[in-house]
Parts: sequence; structure tokens; C-alpha cells
Amino acid sequence: MLSVRDLQAGYIRGAPVLKGLDLDLARGDCIALMGRNGMGKTTFVKALMGVLPHISGSIKFLDQELVALPPYRISNAGIAYVPQGREIFPDFTVEQNLTMGRIGKPKQRNESFDFVYEYFPILAERHKQLGGTLSGGQQQQLAIARALVGRPDLLLLDEPSEGIQPSIVQEMAAILRRIVEQEKMTVIVVEQNLELVRRLAHHVRFIENGLIKSGVAVEEINKNPAMIGRYLSV
Amino acid sequence: MEMTLLIGLDAASYILTLLLVCIGLVVIFGMMNVINLAHGEFFLLGAYTVVLLQQYAVPFALILVVAFAFVALVGLIIEELVIRRIYHRFLDTILATWGISLALKQLVIVLFGPGSQQAVAPFTEPVAMFGITYSSYRLFVMGMAIIITAIVFIILFRTRWGLTARGVIANRQMASCLGVNTRRVDRVTFAFGAGLAGLAGAIVAPLMSVDPQMGVGFLVPAFLSILVGGTASPLGALWGAAIIGGSNSVVAAIWTPVIAQIAVFSLAIIVIRLMPGGVTGRRKR
Repeated sequence: MLSVRDLQAGYIRGAPVLKGLDLDLARGDCIALMGRNGMGKTTFVKALMGVLPHISGSIKFLDQELVALPPYRISNAGIAYVPQGREIFPDFTVEQNLTMGRIGKPKQRNESFDFVYEYFPILAERHKQLGGTLSGGQQQQLAIARALVGRPDLLLLDEPSEGIQPSIVQEMAAILRRIVEQEKMTVIVVEQNLELVRRLAHHVRFIENGLIKSGVAVEEINKNPAMIGRYLSV
Repeated sequence: MEMTLLIGLDAASYILTLLLVCIGLVVIFGMMNVINLAHGEFFLLGAYTVVLLQQYAVPFALILVVAFAFVALVGLIIEELVIRRIYHRFLDTILATWGISLALKQLVIVLFGPGSQQAVAPFTEPVAMFGITYSSYRLFVMGMAIIITAIVFIILFRTRWGLTARGVIANRQMASCLGVNTRRVDRVTFAFGAGLAGLAGAIVAPLMSVDPQMGVGFLVPAFLSILVGGTASPLGALWGAAIIGGSNSVVAAIWTPVIAQIAVFSLAIIVIRLMPGGVTGRRKR
């Protein structure tokens, strides 16, 4: 479904953060991308979304080449993005935030939001409330819901546990797990929180110096937590 | 009594005329953050549309529609050729739109000459009420200002397109990542603001002598209104126009227009000094 070849991308010309990255994903895969800060996890997700100024290589998604497409075309090709820091619209209500998630997608335009409200009942309760007045965890739920209403095939989650209390991280992982199963979603999650990765992902890939180094099934990590240390400890 | 009523009506007329000119600027300056010094010339083009089409006896209502559409088209072309390259370059915007303003003004002089032209009001019968008589066309302008402002606010706050435009302005990159073609939104928003300026020019034209300098006279108070009112919310322009327009016309009626100018500028300085975000600026964040 997704095939990335020799992806080089970065913020400044001539200084790529990603240095020829390869990745293949089949439909229904749910992988976690782990690695230390500055290794290119967020950059990779941004490169997929088309928001980086300098990018080369190839990203094939559902037989479509995505490199050099503007973000809105990538979004409408079926990739949804939940950015680090959530980036909800603080002055819009919950409902208006969700509307923004499908506004460019004629097929979803008249669908009801009920299916995302089922995953996130708190959003239904607060649908008239301004996004900026929600708690961190609720904003994260809103950002995920906003991604889902566009009915994407591939979901990109960047640090969904950031700034959320540990007790809510577990709950969030459980909801995400349910979404992935019920919506048959393919997911790439960038995450430092091992708890969430264990509950959500099938596979873990480690990224180091702008390259994907190795991958293991998530069960391996459960059996042998020490191996995480190699890629994550400073 | 009659005097007070007359001053009140004149003040309301000036405030609402100013609001009419402001409303296009609300979209382009307030929302899109483009300091468009050519706004006065968009206004001018609208006024000259009336002068030109009245020579062919086109009905006034149709002229208003054409003025909006024509100036919106001009705005669309200017956005595509110039503005889209300088959205993130604040100072360059001032220079470039000033250049556009000069070019448009000279173009008008080449086509129509430097002298002033007359646009004819579609109806001129004065209306008698409460013991005074008042120009019916001024009342029409006031009514149009209210209607157009209401329509613009409905479009911005009650339609899908308005939501999209506000979303793009609030967070361009995120809006794009959600599937919004931000370039198209920029184009349409700018053209919409330009069209509103043209429409304002066409409506106000019969009240003024139409000459190539007429745009400038409204540009300064319009920008002031938005700065005083605050750019955080499009509603700020309402307050700004009321404060700037109201103080200007009341002071001018009691003393002289020169003192009114001094009073308005002093007031604007004081308001902006005390409330840098404008009158409506505080409530937001």
C-alpha cells in the first residue's frame, strides 16, 4: 500500500534529515516508529504529508506518486495526519474542527460524525465547545477524530501521548486499538511512550540518523525490553 | 432638536459609508493580513464602473453587480500575479500594493482623464421625516451598508466556505493537511475582498465627485477603523468604523473638519496605545 524508496527530505537545501529512507507497508499494518530525538521521526511523517520544502526520492501510495504533491492532494489521496502538538483550531467549536477534517473531501461531506463520537463520547458531549477550551487529552481525541472523519486509508500519528496523563495514555491506546481494528486502518505512529506502542502497534521500526535501521515485532520487545535501550537510550 | 437629528443622521451616514469601505478591507487586511494599499483603487474602479456604464443607460442594480464582479476579477488577477508571491513578506506587500495602486490610478487617468466625473444617483427625491428632509440616496447607502455587512458576516460565520477561509487563515499548514486547497481559498478570499471594495465604490460614487484621487480619502480612515477596532475578529471593523466615523462627523459638525481630523487621529493614537490589539483585541487569548 505504501512504498517509500530512497527518501531524502529536510528543512534546508543540501542538509537532508532523512538520508535515503526505505519503508514498505501493507494494508492493515500498524507500525510504531521509534528513535531518539533528532533522528528524523517527525520529519519522516511530515515528508509523507508533503509539508517539507526539500524532498526527493519516491513515495508510492495506492499506485500514486506522492513526492512533489501539495499536502491537500496527499490528504485527499487518503492519508490523514495527527500532528505533534495536535494543532486543532482553538477558536472553532469541536463540530467545526471536525468539519474542517472533511471539507476538502466531497464523498464525506454529508456523512454524520456519529461514528467518531462513538469512539470519543466526550466530543459529542462538547460538540459546541471551543477547541481551545478542551483539556490536552480531549484535544488529542479531537485531532484524531478530525483525521478519521475524512475516512483515510493511512493514519499518521505523531506523538499522540505527548502532554497527556499516564492514566489517559492507556485509555487512548485502547481506543486507538479499537479504531485500527474496526476501521481496518493502516497506521504509522511516532512514539516515545513504550506503553502506548505495546498496546497499539504490531511492529516497531527504529530510525537512526535519518535511516530505518531494523524492525521487530512488538512481541519481541515485550519479551526483551533491553533491546529498546540500544535505540532509545542516550 | 432638528439639528441634533441631522448631525446624528450625518454621523450614521458617515459611519456606515466607512463601514462599507472597510468591509472589503476586513477580509483582505483583517483576515488575510495583507496590507493592501491598492484598496482605495479597487474602490475607485468600482466608482468608475458606474460612470462608464451609466453612459450606456445600464440599470443601477445591474451596475452594482458588474462593479462587484469586475473588481473581483481584477483582484483575482492581481492576487495571481503579485500578491501570492508576497504573503509572508510584510514590507514587500506595502511596496507592491502601493505600486499596483499607482498603476491602477494612472490607468484610470489615461482612460478617463484627470478631471472629476459625475455618477448619477438612481433616485434623488429627498425624504421628509421627523421634521427634517434627508437625501433618500444617503438612506439607501446606509441600508446597503447594513445589508452587505450582514451578508459578509453570514458568509464568513455561517457557511462552509467561510469556515474554510477562517481555517486556512488560522492554520494554513494544518488546513492543507486536512485536504483544503489553500491556494484556491487565498485566491477566492482576496477576490471577494476586492469585489467588496468595488461594490462599495459603486454604491458611494453618486455621493461624491468621481476623480482619480477619491480612493485615498477613504483608505486612511478605513485602515484606522480596522486598527482601532482590532483585527482579532472581523467584528472589530464595526466598532472601529463607529469610533472613527462617529467622532469625525460629530466633531466636524460642531467645530470644523480640520479639528475633526486632529481629534480622530489623536483618538486613534490613544486607543491603539492603550489597547494595542484594538477594541476587540483583548477578549481573544
